[in-house]
Amino acid sequence: MNAPLLETRGVTKRYGNLEALRGVDFHISANEIVALLGDNGAGKSTLVKLLSGINPPTSGELYARGEKVTINTRQESEDIGIETIYQDMAVVDDMEIWRNMFLGRELRNALGFLKEAEMKSMTMNELSSGVDISGIDSADQLVGSLSGGQKQAVAIARAVHFRKSILLLDEPTSALSVRETNKLLDYISNLRGRGTSAVFVTHNIYHAYEICDRFVVMSHGTKVHDITKAETSVDDLTQMVINS
Amino acid sequence: MADTNGNAQAVAPSRITTRGGLRGLLDKLLATSAGNIIVAFVLIQLACIIAGLIWSEQFRYLSPSNISIMLKAIPTLGIIALGVGFLMIAGEFDLSVGSIYAFTAVVCSMLIAAGLSAWLAAPLMIVVGAAISMSNGLIAMRFLLPSFIVSLGAMLFWKGMIFFVHGAQAIRFSGSESFKEAFAGSLGPIQMPFVWFFVLTVLFHFTLRHHRFGNHVFAVGGNAPAATANGVRPMQVKLICFALAGACAALSGIISAARVGSVTPAQGGGLELQAIAAAVIGGVALTGGRGSMIGVFLGSALIYTIQDVLLLMRAPGFYLDIFVGALIVFAAIANQLVGRGAGK
Ligand SMILES: Nc1ncnc2c1ncn2[C@@H]1O[C@H](COP(=O)(O)OP(=O)(O)OP(=O)(O)O)[C@@H](O)[C@H]1O
Ligand SMILES: [Mg+2]
Repeated sequence: MNAPLLETRGVTKRYGNLEALRGVDFHISANEIVALLGDNGAGKSTLVKLLSGINPPTSGELYARGEKVTINTRQESEDIGIETIYQDMAVVDDMEIWRNMFLGRELRNALGFLKEAEMKSMTMNELSSGVDISGIDSADQLVGSLSGGQKQAVAIARAVHFRKSILLLDEPTSALSVRETNKLLDYISNLRGRGTSAVFVTHNIYHAYEICDRFVVMSHGTKVHDITKAETSVDDLTQMVINS
Repeated sequence: MADTNGNAQAVAPSRITTRGGLRGLLDKLLATSAGNIIVAFVLIQLACIIAGLIWSEQFRYLSPSNISIMLKAIPTLGIIALGVGFLMIAGEFDLSVGSIYAFTAVVCSMLIAAGLSAWLAAPLMIVVGAAISMSNGLIAMRFLLPSFIVSLGAMLFWKGMIFFVHGAQAIRFSGSESFKEAFAGSLGPIQMPFVWFFVLTVLFHFTLRHHRFGNHVFAVGGNAPAATANGVRPMQVKLICFALAGACAALSGIISAARVGSVTPAQGGGLELQAIAAAVIGGVALTGGRGSMIGVFLGSALIYTIQDVLLLMRAPGFYLDIFVGALIVFAAIANQLVGRGAGK
């Protein structure tokens, strides 16, 4: 129980000459919601994609529940129990909502043919129950025809539907209205009771302070602060992000 | 789930208006990826049939011999176009399909002449066709090159290889009667090449629209990074599509060899561009991620309909280029407009 769910040790990520992550030690424990804060270009999304397996580290080590692991593919991160809402949402505009929802994890029969009716109804269920967003009235709509917020809702619904032990949320409220944002924040803070931990990337420190247990501030690819809620305040955090 | 706002459910009373009647039906049809081509195809067929009825002496469109010629001619291009269209939806090209078409037919004829059964030689050469196309894909993806360029090289390479292994003279295709019956005979009134074309269209259609693999093909062609982020492997999916394109080209070459009874090494030139044309006319997006097999089927048929009409009207051959050339551009514009409608 003492080993964190997921941990990075001295992780570095290079893009050519640019070091987007420089020796980052990061961890997340069971039933914990961690905020990941920092300026534009600090390396937050790079860390999220690294943990999701689509952007493997250049060097450094990863541990899941105390055991050394590699996360070099999406498959490996899925096996560890990671679900992600990517900053760019990772949806295919030319495909219907239900196809996006189940992309890579299609419900299918023994021959590999799709169980379409089932996937469509599950999609509509998820869209209207979890973090429901108005205006989507059919799972057959192309994602490219949705509004920015509706599109984000599809990405959220997908991660929420397949949620296991760890949910990574990279600016999931960037396109949402106030009402929808509040619903999502509410949902995230309720995750603790459901056995899911979360990493919440946001630029809104008030939102982060409201729902998170711990705050990690990044700057220029390094971790500069790692502090629990009891040890800090919104004002302190704001100063940390601004001065980092 | 936890809903702080209690009531908050603001589904706007239908902001979507649908037109009724024939207009509504047309709207719905045009919104599908094969919509444009279905409408165009039906209109052109209607025009031809009406003209054929009115001027039945001069314009012999409906004569049994004309229909039989068309049904024979369409599958050669059509089967290649199915594979090429499938690959284009995955976001890649293979310009070497015309050379694969000729190379595999020539080598197949040589193997049969050397004593191998056609029933063994044909599947073997279909695998070879798949392998050639896959090697194009492998090189393109391994070195991060556009497949357009790699397969352009392969087109010349394999065209040259035909002359290297066989020379320039035509070769007889002497497969067994049962083989010829299966690939060039007829099933009732319909010739076997057309039966194969039709069966492949149906098979590919269901794979693309209703099978997990087809779902991945659309995702990889539409947005490869998003596909990767969801655990789909673009490289793997694309390689299978390359294999399909090569296999289709080889099958088409073998079918036409069986039908004609001989192969000329120079045949197949230009088929790669016609196949892309058929796919584009059929609604496949040049950028990948959009298209349908029904569209490719009709696109191939449309190219031959136009060719046939021009022949019946005794128009000089270059008219075909003019018509098909203009049609490709129109079709590309129409595809683009459909794409915008979907929010691109
Ligand atoms: N694919 C890439 N190729 C090259 N450089 C990249 C790539 N992705 C990110 N970077 C660079 O890495 C650095 C960190 O980017 P990252 O997306 O992690 O920032 P971020 O903290 O998420 O910022 P934001 O708050 O704006 O989303 C930036 O300087 C960025 O330019
Ligand atoms: Mg980011």
